[in-house]
Amino acid sequence: MSHNDTIPLYQSSQSDIDEIENMMNDGFQSGPGTVLPARPPSPIRPSIPVSSSPFVQSNLPPLPPSSSSAAQKVTPVPAPPSLPPAVNFGSSEGSKTTGFGSPPNTWTEPVWDTVKRDLSRIVSNLKLVVFPNPNREDPGKALRDWDLWGPFFFIVFLGLTLSWSASVKKSEVFAVAFALLAAGAVILTLNVLLLGGHIIFFQSLSLLGYCLFPLDVGAVICMLKDNVILKMIVVTVTLAWSSWAAYPFMSAAVNPRRKALALYPVFLMYVSVGFLIIAID
Amino acid sequence: MQPPVENYANPNTCLFHVLFKGAALAFYILSALFFNSFVIIFVVTVLLAALDFWVVKNVSGRILVGLRWWNEINDLGESVWKFESLDQESLARMNKKDSWLFWWTLYLAAAAWLILGVFSLIRFQADYLLVVGVCLSLNAANIIGFTKCKKDAKKQFQQFASQTIASRFQSTVQSAFTLV
Repeated sequence: MSHNDTIPLYQSSQSDIDEIENMMNDGFQSGPGTVLPARPPSPIRPSIPVSSSPFVQSNLPPLPPSSSSAAQKVTPVPAPPSLPPAVNFGSSEGSKTTGFGSPPNTWTEPVWDTVKRDLSRIVSNLKLVVFPNPNREDPGKALRDWDLWGPFFFIVFLGLTLSWSASVKKSEVFAVAFALLAAGAVILTLNVLLLGGHIIFFQSLSLLGYCLFPLDVGAVICMLKDNVILKMIVVTVTLAWSSWAAYPFMSAAVNPRRKALALYPVFLMYVSVGFLIIAID
Repeated sequence: MQPPVENYANPNTCLFHVLFKGAALAFYILSALFFNSFVIIFVVTVLLAALDFWVVKNVSGRILVGLRWWNEINDLGESVWKFESLDQESLARMNKKDSWLFWWTLYLAAAAWLILGVFSLIRFQADYLLVVGVCLSLNAANIIGFTKCKKDAKKQFQQFASQTIASRFQSTVQSAFTLV
């Protein structure tokens, strides 16, 4: 059967379909001479789920009709109309291409799916970094899926909260907070890299941004209640929480003898932000 | 007989592509007239610029020009930048007007931010320079990403074309020999 001149719609599906058809041919023995019922080929092709895990099991059910349709898919490839209906897959766009290497067909997904996927990525990154969970043992694997949206929101939120709490010079407070946090994240990352550590620039920025979440919470509490003692307690607690969150990732990235050199500046930055929170009135 | 003029194939996407860029620029320029507070200007402008970045990267790039780029961290822990494009058939079928709009608005927005940056530099306004800097870097990231995609796509097309020509040539020669 000549499938070679079918035009691959998506780079991924052609090889999968060929493999599946080889399996089916062993069972079905349908040769070119067999008359097979005509079926519209195009809707079937995109619906075969392409996932990076062994796809055999999940693909078998819809196959019997498609082996016949694929046999006919020689010349009149119905030119795929502008874009076939939305195909949604569980894995994300930039996702782990383990082994099979075929990126999922997210070309034609509706915008809302993209939004939801990105939002869920932010939430999962947050949970990974800030809350205790088993993945913290393997920092390299965690935060694979870095994104900068979470850090962006947290930094802006912290700046806004500080600015709101300030009774004078609101603009300066915001600008200083934002610049301090953004520049601080960049400099801390450079620090790790210069110490000979192995960390990816954006991954580290993302991590340091997510670790600001506890400080955000602390800033909100301090904004609502103006008691100095309470502020100090809250800031100390959230400071410790932030440092605890950042610790495994930063320490795993550098040589054990240089751990303190990498972690101390991080702690220092969080302390200075903490002072900023306490001092604002 | 004149062929009918091609219209935009994806008017909604085109609209959004231009909307956030224009809104960020307009807000930044006009806000000085209405708002006294730098904080609001900063937050709204940067937010609009970030939304524009997301829309261009995830939606209009994919739909208007069939290009996509992203960053992955592979199992070895290295950062890999991926550039992807639709296959040649679909690329050839993309609407010309769409892609013209896509590229030109991308370049024009970056140029506009550059000019605004120069203005704020002249006036020694460091905080506004910060805003312009952020917006400019977001725009630049998209431009670089998509340009790389396009170059990659062209390279693949050339490779594919030369491979096809080579294999056709080979098969012609082979069949010529078998005929003898």
